[in-house]
Amino acid sequence: MDTLNAGGVRLSCADLTTREINAALAELPDGAEARIEEPWGRHNLAVGLTNRITIDIDGNAGYFIGGLCDGPDITVDGFVGWSVGENLMSGSVRVRGNVSECAGASAHGGTIIIHGDASSRAGISLKGGTVLVGGDVGHMSGFMAQAGTMLVGGDAGHALGDSLYEAVIYVAGKIASLGSDAKVENLTDSDVLRVKQLIDLAGFDHIDPQNVKRVASARQLYNFDALKDQKY
Amino acid sequence: MTETLPSSLPLAESTPAPALPADARRRSHTFPPEVVAQIQRMADEGHYEIRGWGAKRHLPTFDDLVFLTASVSRYPLEGYREKCETKTVLGTRYASKPIELDIPITIAGMSFGALSASAKAALGRAASAVGTSTTTGDGGMTEEERAASKLLVYQCLPSRYGFNPKHLRMADAIEVVIGQGAKPGGGGMLLGQKVSQRVADMRTLPPGIDQRSASRHPDWVGPDDLRIKIEELREATGWEKPVYVKLGATRVANDVKLAVAAGADVVVVDGMQGGTGATQDVFIEHAGIPTLAAVRLAAEALREIDMADQVQLIVSGGIRNGADAAKALALGATAVSMGVGPLIALGCNSRTYLQDGVEHDATADYRALGTEPGYCHHMHTGMCPVGISTQDPRLEARLDPEWGTRRVINYLKSVTMELTTLARACGKSNVHNLEPEDLVALTIEAAAMAGVPLAGTNWVPGSSDCR
Amino acid sequence: MCGIVGLHLKNPELYPRLGELLASMLDCMTSRGPDSAGLALYGDDADHQPRMEIFKDVGLPREICERYGVAKRSGYQGIGHTRMATESAVTTEHSHPFAPAENMALVHNGSFSNHASVRRRLESDGIRFVTDNDSEVAARYIAHQVGHGADLGDALRMVLKEMDGFFTLLVTTATQFAVMRDSFACKPAVIAETTDYVAMASEYHALASLPGIGSATVFEPAPEEVYTWTR
Ligand code: SF4
Repeated sequence: MDTLNAGGVRLSCADLTTREINAALAELPDGAEARIEEPWGRHNLAVGLTNRITIDIDGNAGYFIGGLCDGPDITVDGFVGWSVGENLMSGSVRVRGNVSECAGASAHGGTIIIHGDASSRAGISLKGGTVLVGGDVGHMSGFMAQAGTMLVGGDAGHALGDSLYEAVIYVAGKIASLGSDAKVENLTDSDVLRVKQLIDLAGFDHIDPQNVKRVASARQLYNFDALKDQKY
Repeated sequence: MTETLPSSLPLAESTPAPALPADARRRSHTFPPEVVAQIQRMADEGHYEIRGWGAKRHLPTFDDLVFLTASVSRYPLEGYREKCETKTVLGTRYASKPIELDIPITIAGMSFGALSASAKAALGRAASAVGTSTTTGDGGMTEEERAASKLLVYQCLPSRYGFNPKHLRMADAIEVVIGQGAKPGGGGMLLGQKVSQRVADMRTLPPGIDQRSASRHPDWVGPDDLRIKIEELREATGWEKPVYVKLGATRVANDVKLAVAAGADVVVVDGMQGGTGATQDVFIEHAGIPTLAAVRLAAEALREIDMADQVQLIVSGGIRNGADAAKALALGATAVSMGVGPLIALGCNSRTYLQDGVEHDATADYRALGTEPGYCHHMHTGMCPVGISTQDPRLEARLDPEWGTRRVINYLKSVTMELTTLARACGKSNVHNLEPEDLVALTIEAAAMAGVPLAGTNWVPGSSDCR
Repeated sequence: MCGIVGLHLKNPELYPRLGELLASMLDCMTSRGPDSAGLALYGDDADHQPRMEIFKDVGLPREICERYGVAKRSGYQGIGHTRMATESAVTTEHSHPFAPAENMALVHNGSFSNHASVRRRLESDGIRFVTDNDSEVAARYIAHQVGHGADLGDALRMVLKEMDGFFTLLVTTATQFAVMRDSFACKPAVIAETTDYVAMASEYHALASLPGIGSATVFEPAPEEVYTWTR
C-alpha cells in the first residue's frame, strides 16, 4: 500500500489479492481517498464497504464492483462486468465506460451512474436506488423494479420495465418495446424537474428533460386475476 | 391434494334417496372425489391452486427404513448414562467462524411475512435455548428475530426483499437460496392478504399486492457466476461467516457438486416434502424428488468429489422426529433442518389455541377457510386460525410467544432424545457416527432410493454391489 | 457452465502469437471451469489449406496448454473453453471444443433444457454422438444444418428456434468466427474488436492482456443476434 501525498492510498491489483484490497479499503477513515490500479477485470473490488471514502478504479473491472456498499463514492475509469453497484444502499458508483448486465441490480439506495451503455437487465429488481445511464440499455431493463428511478439517455432495448412495480423509468431515446404491465405515462412538471436534477447529478449534457418518456407500471399484475388474461 | 369438505351452500330439499347398491360408490382412481373437486375449482376460478405446507401425496420416506441396532455383534450404549454427543459444526471449509450447534437439528428459513413476528420470535428463542440456529426468509431480518436467535442464518434469496449488508454482517451464516424443495425452480409467493404495511415496507412493495418473488437471482445466473457471487458475500463479511447454498432437490448429484465448485461451505438439500408459505399446488406435488432419495444422492456426490470431510450437508423436507433425523444422519447428512414440524409444535393444525390463559376452540375458523384442524394448509390466506402464519393482529394474538417457545423447546428436545436413543442403540457415542450400514429398507422403493439393502436380503436395487 | 474464449486474427503479423495469446486468455478463465479445458486452433498448412487442430484434456487450462505446447503454436484463429461440468462426466471426450464437422468447432457456456429431444431427432437422422454432453447436441445440430447447405449464421439462427435454455455459443469454421446468445442472454459474453483482431470471452479479464486492448471497441453481444466475422 503506497500513500499518496494527497492523503490517498494506492492499491494495485498486480500486487494484492481482492481480499487484501477490500480489507485495506475497509480500514480507511471517512474522507479518505484510494486508487485501485491495474484492475484488469478483477471481480468484487470495493464491495461491502460502509465508510464514506472516495475510490478510483483505474481501468476495466469485473463483476459486482461496489456491490453491497453503504457509503463510499466509487468511480471506474473503464468499463465493468455484471451487476455493478449490486444491492447498493447509499453512496455512488460512477462508471466512465460501458457496463455489462444487471447494473444496479436490487440497489436499495445510492446512485449508479453509467456514462456509456448498460447491457441487459439494467436496474433489475431495483429497490429504491437510482440508476442513470448516459447511453443505451439492453433488453429487460427495469425488470421487476420495485422502487427508485432509472434514467436512460439513449435507447432502451426490448421489454423495458417488464413487471414493474413502483419504480419509474425515464427514457430520452427510442424504446424498442415495453414489457408486460409497463406503460408510457404523461410527463408532469415534477417529472421534468426530477429528470433535470438527475441529469445534473450525473453530469450528462445530452438529455433534454422536457423530451423524455416516463415509463411506469400499469399495475395490472399486482393481484392475481385470471379473468384479465394476465401475461405471466 | 385438496380435501373435499361438506359445502356450506344450502342444499335443495329432496326426498330421502333409496339405499344404493354396493357397487354404486365405486371410487375412480383416475377421478377420485379430490380430483373432481380440483377440476371444479379450476373451472370456477380459472387459475391454479395456491396453497401452503408441503407435499401431501404418498411418497417413499424415512419411515421405510429401520435401524439394525446392537445385539451380539455390536454393543449398545446405556440409554440414560453413557453420553451420546450431538455437537455439530458447520462451515469449516472457508469460514473463520464456523457455526457450532449443540444439536444437529436446525430451524429452516421461514419469512416474517409468511409467519407472524411472534411465531418468528418463538422459533428463535426456542432454537437459542437448545443451542441451534434459526433462519430468516424472504423479506429479510427482523429485529425481533435477531434478538431472539443466538445463531441466525441470513438468507440471500432471488427476490432480495429487505436484503441489506448491515443484516448480512449481523448474521452468523449466509444461505444463498437457489431453490426450495416445495418449488424447485420457482419463486416464492406472498398473497396480498399477508402483505401488511410492515411486510410491504420491509420488501419495498405496495401493501396488499400479490408478491411473486423471482426464481432466478437478479445479479448472477449459473454456477460459474455463483462462484463470483459467493466471493462477493465473503468479501463483504471478511470471510468470517459460513456460506450455505440451499438447493431444491432435483438433479441433486450435479447440483451439489456445482455448489461445492462454486465455493459453498455447507450444502442444504431440501426434498420435495419441504413446506412453503404459498406456492402452486402443482409445484408442491409434482416437482422435485423425495428427501429420502435426495440425501443419499447428495452424500454420494460429496464423497465422489472427495469433499465429504470439508463440506457439510444439511437435509430438510419433511423431517418430523428423531427417527427421521437419525436416518438422514446415517445416510450422510451432518444436520437436518425442520420447518413444518416446529410450526406444528407452535400449534399449527391444532383444534385449540391458548389466549390469555384460556383455551379457545378454533374449529369454526378452520371451517371458514374450508378446512378442519389436522388438514389445514392455508398459510397463503394469512387467516391462520392459531396465529402462526398471519399478519392480522387479531389472529397473531392467538399465539402466546412464551407458550410457543416452551413447546418448540420441548419438541426439539424430544427429537434430539429420539435421535440419541437410536444412535446409542446402534452403539454410537456420537450421532455423527451413524452410517448407511446401520439401516435396511422395508420396501424396494426405499431400498433403491436410500441405497441400502432390502431388509432380510443383501439386495440394493439399482446397485451392482451387495453387502 | 464454463468460461469461453476466442480470437480471430485479422492482422497476419499476429499469426505467430495465436497460441500464446489464447493460452493466456484461457488461463484467465480457470475459475469458471477448473475441470477440463480445450482449444481449437486454425492455421494454414504447407499447401496453404486451412487446418484445424483440437487439443483438450482433463485438468487446469495452464497444465493443458503446457502439455500440448499451445503457446508456441501459430495460426489465424482459435477458440477455447474451460469446463465446470454440470450434467455430464469430466472426461476428455466431454470437454469442449466439440468438432462436429471438418474444420468446425464449437464452445458453449450455459445449459440447454431440451437437448435430449433434439439429440433424438438428430439420431433418427443418422447423426452419431460421442458423449451425452448438451453442447455436443448444439454442435452436431449446427453441423447438420451446414451440411445441408445452411450458412453458419442461418444455422445459428435455427438453434434459437430449435433449442431451449441458456447459452452463449462461439462457433468457428475454416473461414468464419461466430458468436450468439439466447433470448435471455443470461450467460456472459464480451467482444473486443480492433483492426488487428476480434476477441471474445466470458469475462473481460480474459481479454485484458491482448495487445492494443486499451483502444479496442468492446461490447456485449445482444440477445438472439448472430455476430460473424469472415476471413
Ligand atoms: S394452522 Fe396456520 S400455520 Fe398451520 S397450516 Fe393452517 S394457516 Fe398454516
